[in-house]
Amino acid sequence: MNVLDRKLLRDLAAARGMLLALLCIIVVGVLCFVSMASVYLNLEQSRQRYYAQTRMADFEISLRKVPLQDLSELLGDLRGVAEYRPRVVFEVTADLPGVERPLTGQVVSLPGHPGPVVNDILIRRGGYFTDDRRAEVILHDAFARARNLGPGDRLRLILNERIHELTVVGTAISAEFVYLLGPGGLIPDNENYGVFYLPEQFAREAFDLEGAANNIVGRLTGEYRERPDAVLDRIEQILEPYGVAAVTPLARQQSHWFLMSEIDGLKVSVVFVPTLFLAVAVVLLNVLMTRIAEQQRTVAGTLKALGYSNRALFSHYVRFGAAVGVAGGLIGAVLGWLSAGGMVEMYTQYYEFPELANRPQVLVMVFGLGLSVVFSIAGTLNGVRKILRLSPAESMRPRPPEQGRRVLLERWQWAWRQFDFRWQMVLRGITRNRMRTASGVFAATVGSALMLLMFHMRDSMNEMVEFQFDQLLISDFDLTFRNVEDEGAVLEVRRMPGVDRVEPLFNVGCTFHNGHHRKKGGITGLMRNARLTVPRDVAGNAIAVPRVGLLLTRLLAEELDVLPGDVLIVEPVRGRQDRLVFPVSAIIDSYLGMAAYADYDWLNHQLSEAGAVTGVQLKVDRRPEVVREFYRELKQLPAIQAVSAIRENRKQLEEVLIEQMMVSVVVVTLFAGALFFGSILNSSLISLAERNQEIATFRVLGYTSREVGQIFLRESLCINLLGMACGLPAGYGLCLLINRAYSTELFRLPFVIQPASWVVTALLGLGFTLLAQWPVKRAIARQNWQEALNARE
Amino acid sequence: MSEADSQTESEQTATAGPARDAAPLLRLRNVGRTFHTGDVAVTVLRDVNLEVPRGQIMVIVGPSGSGKSTLLNIIGGIDSPSTGEVWFGDRDLARLNDAALTRYRRESVGFVFQFYNLVPTLTALENVVVSSQLSDNAMDPAEALKMVGLEHRTHHFPSQLSGGEQQRVAIARAIAGNPEILLCDEPTGALDLETGRNVLELLDRLNRDFGRTVLIITHNSAIAAMAHQQVRIGSGTIAEAKANPRRVSAGEISW
Repeated sequence: MNVLDRKLLRDLAAARGMLLALLCIIVVGVLCFVSMASVYLNLEQSRQRYYAQTRMADFEISLRKVPLQDLSELLGDLRGVAEYRPRVVFEVTADLPGVERPLTGQVVSLPGHPGPVVNDILIRRGGYFTDDRRAEVILHDAFARARNLGPGDRLRLILNERIHELTVVGTAISAEFVYLLGPGGLIPDNENYGVFYLPEQFAREAFDLEGAANNIVGRLTGEYRERPDAVLDRIEQILEPYGVAAVTPLARQQSHWFLMSEIDGLKVSVVFVPTLFLAVAVVLLNVLMTRIAEQQRTVAGTLKALGYSNRALFSHYVRFGAAVGVAGGLIGAVLGWLSAGGMVEMYTQYYEFPELANRPQVLVMVFGLGLSVVFSIAGTLNGVRKILRLSPAESMRPRPPEQGRRVLLERWQWAWRQFDFRWQMVLRGITRNRMRTASGVFAATVGSALMLLMFHMRDSMNEMVEFQFDQLLISDFDLTFRNVEDEGAVLEVRRMPGVDRVEPLFNVGCTFHNGHHRKKGGITGLMRNARLTVPRDVAGNAIAVPRVGLLLTRLLAEELDVLPGDVLIVEPVRGRQDRLVFPVSAIIDSYLGMAAYADYDWLNHQLSEAGAVTGVQLKVDRRPEVVREFYRELKQLPAIQAVSAIRENRKQLEEVLIEQMMVSVVVVTLFAGALFFGSILNSSLISLAERNQEIATFRVLGYTSREVGQIFLRESLCINLLGMACGLPAGYGLCLLINRAYSTELFRLPFVIQPASWVVTALLGLGFTLLAQWPVKRAIARQNWQEALNARE
Repeated sequence: MSEADSQTESEQTATAGPARDAAPLLRLRNVGRTFHTGDVAVTVLRDVNLEVPRGQIMVIVGPSGSGKSTLLNIIGGIDSPSTGEVWFGDRDLARLNDAALTRYRRESVGFVFQFYNLVPTLTALENVVVSSQLSDNAMDPAEALKMVGLEHRTHHFPSQLSGGEQQRVAIARAIAGNPEILLCDEPTGALDLETGRNVLELLDRLNRDFGRTVLIITHNSAIAAMAHQQVRIGSGTIAEAKANPRRVSAGEISW
């Protein structure tokens, strides 16, 4: 080994305390990059393979009923449509022996014989249907696993108000249901919501759809995939007479949307998070390297005098940064890959893929290592420049004494004299080492901003859950009828055991028009004295349902560009097909979907109905024995198409959120801690080395190591409090930014930062500052000050 | 060594030196050096004319602030004159660019500093290698250490060596690259009398046995007694430059 490389190794070893602190930050940066980029690539590659494998549809159309013959005439030659498949799709309830509550799910029809079709399935266990007409079912694999069902088991489905006993022939997954949600759900509930694939012929017969379909999935030709709107508008027009309820391009397909928002989120974080950490590392490395430049002034000068060229010295000192970068990069890449494994495991809990493994992404690791090296070298350049700029003659002369300039505060002598000399030293230290102070402030800013962001996410999630489940939807169960019913159905439900309150709902699927703005959606008719759905404004105030006109959620109103007082054209899917003109009465807030509400009776009247009911909301006695009884009766009601257990949804959501939040609290706190620790340790140890003689003098004068330590503590406190003072507002801005980025049509997060979150962030920052003082204190206590006094700096 | 012996020897070398080669190793013509700090210009050297004969020991004596270190730096190619010429063979150092000066230092100069300037994280041997690895016709570093009598300390770090030993390592480093001239800046400045004498003896031996040109600058006029050429510098100019017909051996010098 070259002697200069040997010197480099020993220099690195001598600076190990400071480097270790720095290394932590670099490792976190690379770890974040490697883990998130690996997971991103693995998820995206798996997704693409899976979509191709099962011929994932580019669009889906739900309609009332379309004869297959008409369909082939209408869509057969339509430009832009590559292939399509008519299906039968219904929400259904299922009854499993030994399971109290009725389960719900979707029936989806498949051809009687396997073949490459749009939205195909991949069999996981068992096999395909044996006969087109037999009562056989293939189950969504996650549901089957959660309910311990497999080939040969039997279950009962209520199809079109008739109970059918079916035999499970296999379990399967499909790209359509990577992230499977029941109505109103936010996370997959595999125990209680499944997909039941039925043979086409059998499904058509069961739902009285012989020779017809109520759902179409299809793929577009290449050039229309990116811009499907025109084709889909055309399809919608063509199929309008068949009662189109929804036209969903892939971009808005539920499972795809959730998956992509996760993948896109990763894509943003991959850039944003590692950059923050590596930027802090650059700044801290710059401080360290400037110190080393000072320290090695004479050595560098001597080497130059001996005949080392600037290029040789550049390469020598830059290797200091490169070595740190390589070490941080290697550790970060390995840890990143390991934590990618953890993340993939978490994803497989919620996202169903044929194969989602933590494949080592070698390119990502190499790139992560490269990033680390590049950032680290960037951090050393300024210090190296200082070394190179020094003429050898100049570097032989002892360093000119530090400029003893007065700091700004000293101009006000009266104020200055209020500080004891140790505070004066602290203030001078802070103002003189501006780069070091700035780097400390920057690290604390980033650390506290990240913590605030994490607490904001938690607060917003909690607020969303509370708003949605405690303020807006207060029912225990929402039942949806298979057909439009009348008050008789409401009375029947009211007679069920344990039911305390029943409120009828009248849901009308429709298209809203306002000028060139158009939106498919629905209006929910609510009873005038409804207590189980309470529309609210952003402040949480209940907004009464007006006698006339619509309540629109803010997002829907924005999309349609209407304000209270404007009118909307409404084109109902069912009932009369005429266009109706409805006034907009008020705007309300909701975080999930785009709802519109109207008065139950008024809506009925407008659609020439009276007492029409499409569903009910219930408040029930929640004692277990009563609920058991309620469930038993519910299973006997064939008119029910879907059951949504609101309280259970809430509980499940809360459990998952708490679990995920715990993970992120721990991770982010650790990462922020690395920032605080790294920065404080780095600057304190440098400061300690620089002021070696000063400290030794104090010790000789009789100051205890604790009293000397206080100078450093005060300095850290000043810098980090200042950093937090910057970080909290910066974090607020960051929260706003992220909140906006996550607001979409399907899902929106309220913007909430609880007072406690501010306080906890500040306390954690303070705690880290105090904790990081511990190693500094030890370093002071262990310092050999007698030796320092005699040393020639 | 007796006084008579040393005298005979000095006389021999004093006459033998210039006789070896008539052309001087270095020639300084009207060299001046002015430093600018802000608006203030400080002239440290003015009109310095000096010839350094090949194969001899030249001692430049002057009080601190007299410009002797600046002169040494210019001769060593780590500083450039503001005016004048510095001829090394057929090269004018004043006109060389940075790369050429680096090559000059690498090939032709060996430095010995007052505070040794060893790399603290390298052992004695490694410190010598730092210099020898730069030169194509370098000595074996271990051999260089043996020449300064430190073959038993090769793997010690500077902090484990006495001041005199450190300076001997520095001299070994200086000679390892086989330079034509050894430039010594106050080589005994940080040493006690006995150790200082040892170092001077070592330099004397390098000149005598290996024909090295040695240039020593010092504020200590006693050291001038061992020189073939004695130069006195004051306020940036050469006050006196003369051959020393009565050289004294380094062992006899005292201060």
